[in-house]
Amino acid sequence: MQGVVELESPAEAAPEKLRRPAARPRRFHKGKAPYVFLLPYVLLTSVFFVYPFLRAVALAFYQTNGPRSQVFVGFENFVFLFHDSRFHSALGNTVTYTLCSIFLQLPLALGLAMLLNSGTSKLELRLKGFFRLILFSPNLVGPIFVGVMFSVLLTPRYGLLNRTLQALVGWGLEQSWVDDPKLVMPALVLVSLWLYVGFNMVYFLAALQSVDKELEQAARIDGANAWQVFWNVTLPSIRHVVIFVVILSTVGSFNLFELPLALLSSSNGFGPDDSGVTLITYLNEVAYRSGDLGLGSAVGWVVAISIMVFSFVQFRVARVAENE
Amino acid sequence: MLDRFPYGKAPFVLLLIAILSSLTFALTHRSGRPAELVLAVFSAQHYGAYAAVLPKFEQQHHVKVNLQRIDNQSLEARLQSAIVANTDVPDLTEISEGTLGFFTRGPERDIGFADLSERVRSEGLDHRVVESRFAPWTSRGKVYALPHDVHPVMLAYRRDLVEQLGIDVGKLETWDDFVAMGQQITRDLDGDGAIDRFALELPRNGQWGLQTLLRQRGVDLFDAQGEAAFNCPIGVDTVVWYLKQTRSPQRIAYDPANGQSNGQAFVQALRDGMFLFLLAPDWRTYQLQADAPMMSGKMAIMPLPAWERGGRRTSTWGMTGLTLSKTSKNPELAWELAKFLYYTPAALGQRFLSSNIIPPLKEAWALPEFQTPNAFWSGQKLGAEYARLAPDVPPIFASPVYKSGMSKLDQAVVRSALYYQEHGELGLREKVAEELQRAADYLKVWSDRYAVLQDGVASNEPEP
Repeated sequence: MQGVVELESPAEAAPEKLRRPAARPRRFHKGKAPYVFLLPYVLLTSVFFVYPFLRAVALAFYQTNGPRSQVFVGFENFVFLFHDSRFHSALGNTVTYTLCSIFLQLPLALGLAMLLNSGTSKLELRLKGFFRLILFSPNLVGPIFVGVMFSVLLTPRYGLLNRTLQALVGWGLEQSWVDDPKLVMPALVLVSLWLYVGFNMVYFLAALQSVDKELEQAARIDGANAWQVFWNVTLPSIRHVVIFVVILSTVGSFNLFELPLALLSSSNGFGPDDSGVTLITYLNEVAYRSGDLGLGSAVGWVVAISIMVFSFVQFRVARVAENE
Repeated sequence: MLDRFPYGKAPFVLLLIAILSSLTFALTHRSGRPAELVLAVFSAQHYGAYAAVLPKFEQQHHVKVNLQRIDNQSLEARLQSAIVANTDVPDLTEISEGTLGFFTRGPERDIGFADLSERVRSEGLDHRVVESRFAPWTSRGKVYALPHDVHPVMLAYRRDLVEQLGIDVGKLETWDDFVAMGQQITRDLDGDGAIDRFALELPRNGQWGLQTLLRQRGVDLFDAQGEAAFNCPIGVDTVVWYLKQTRSPQRIAYDPANGQSNGQAFVQALRDGMFLFLLAPDWRTYQLQADAPMMSGKMAIMPLPAWERGGRRTSTWGMTGLTLSKTSKNPELAWELAKFLYYTPAALGQRFLSSNIIPPLKEAWALPEFQTPNAFWSGQKLGAEYARLAPDVPPIFASPVYKSGMSKLDQAVVRSALYYQEHGELGLREKVAEELQRAADYLKVWSDRYAVLQDGVASNEPEP
């Protein structure tokens, strides 16, 4: 485009420059290419993100039978949700599971990461790789497989876990884990520990490997014990990763779906007395099994807002802790 | 060439694999003659039975039928999505128990199935078929599916062990008789504190066990008007009885597989003699033959004990219906295929042999296949035994919230069970009644939501 400008004779170009700012054609030509390159992204985002997003906003105010028939109901879907006992169970179970993930799973993952980060000898380094693979491997098979596998392991009388408990402590042979409303959430948490603890451990391990060893040594020389070193040196050094993992874990926990669906398949993923129903299994039920995409959208918004609130609180807490 | 490829070696190899696999697929894939009819089913047993007889229909009508098997839940969701999105749907589709209400929950224009009421009447099927079997496939007075089966329920039992214990099954006329027998034989055989032999297999949380027993007493989830029906004195009685048999110290029932009616744990428990009797609709007898062949010759069947002397000796568990798409390009041919598969005696004899499923067409029960002794079942004539009970099968009524009804009934059982474990029998009846009413109220709220949708859409539609 520069060349085009140069081809013009100064005599012709001068009045033109007086009428219009000189940079305008250059800006127009310069600006076109980036927009062309951006177009596929903008189109895809518009079709697959912006439009569904806006549609989901609108749908939440309709009652629907699939995409064809719909009736405007205003805020009725939200009112319905807040009066629906199954939704209350779903919200309660999801929050319980999220708290268990944050306060049980993540400390355990951090502990394992610290263990794996501690060795220095050749043998220890080899074992470290081996255990890292072992702990991470449940993630490779996915929640559906894990759910099906544990539903077999937790079978009364014939399940491996029940048989092991009976052999070790003389109790548990006939224990019905997924049929007892009091044990469904512990069973879900237990299975998810097995499934996700290695995944989170990998993040922590990567962060721990970047902690400045000299700082830790200096603290030890100054007389700090192991806990003080961890609390005052190690943890602050990996705080950004911790915040990231906590948020990731929160989002993942709010989206819990496949694991209860497979583990509690005899009760459609809900568990006895709705003890295993989560927000997403509830959403799946109302939107796809009952066909009310409007109510499904309303649930989706509640999930999204809940995640935002949780994440905001976590950010605030992290910031306060950092300032202190 | 590899070095000159601008994006490196790995993308080049990937591109090569993509081109080669596409070429292989294109060269080896033969579409053949396009099918005139598409039939979708969810049951492996049905698939096998239809595959055996379809060539005959194809020969008779000079057509090609594409038989597809799809997982039940996927079939339900995809079919409904295809219907409401106006895309291609199979000409004929089999749907399962409790799903018609799902497909007919919206306004009438959204129902993707053809109304078969007139065809059923004109062919006289309403008299030739067990009448009660049209009820689950009827919505707003219209028949939308043809009944595939009757699924009468009998008690299957370990004949070898029952005979060893000297139990005379002829004397088990009522459930009271059965419970008395059950309490005698339910035992801890090895003294380890855990019971090793129960009388009956029932899921702890209700599920199919409770529903089958309720149906035997003429009570299902919904009545003909679509209202919840289980919150009645019979419902309360049955749940209290159920809790005693599955949860009390004198219980006689065992749940080997967390409510699943099949699978490895179930088969192992049957082999081990953990329970002697089990509820067995006709389809389950075939499942047992397939899953537990080692039990051949050791099993037998008997009618269910009645709730009162002279009462109904059967119930029903499971059902399949065949729907015709409203948008089928060959509706007459589809109807012929439906009649061929469901109501042609010759095809039904073959179908029985490969599934043990009794057809609802009464005239077919006289076929020789139904009188054949079955070695697995100790030489009993399975077809004749089930056919004898088939006319007594109770009706089941459709509802848009049928599946929610199933889970809410289970919830009422679980909550009542928790109360029972804590407080014993004191106040149990009142608690059960309260929980059943709560479940019924919940379903009413959902039913009302669907009514709002139907009314709202109808009022928005222009006058014809």
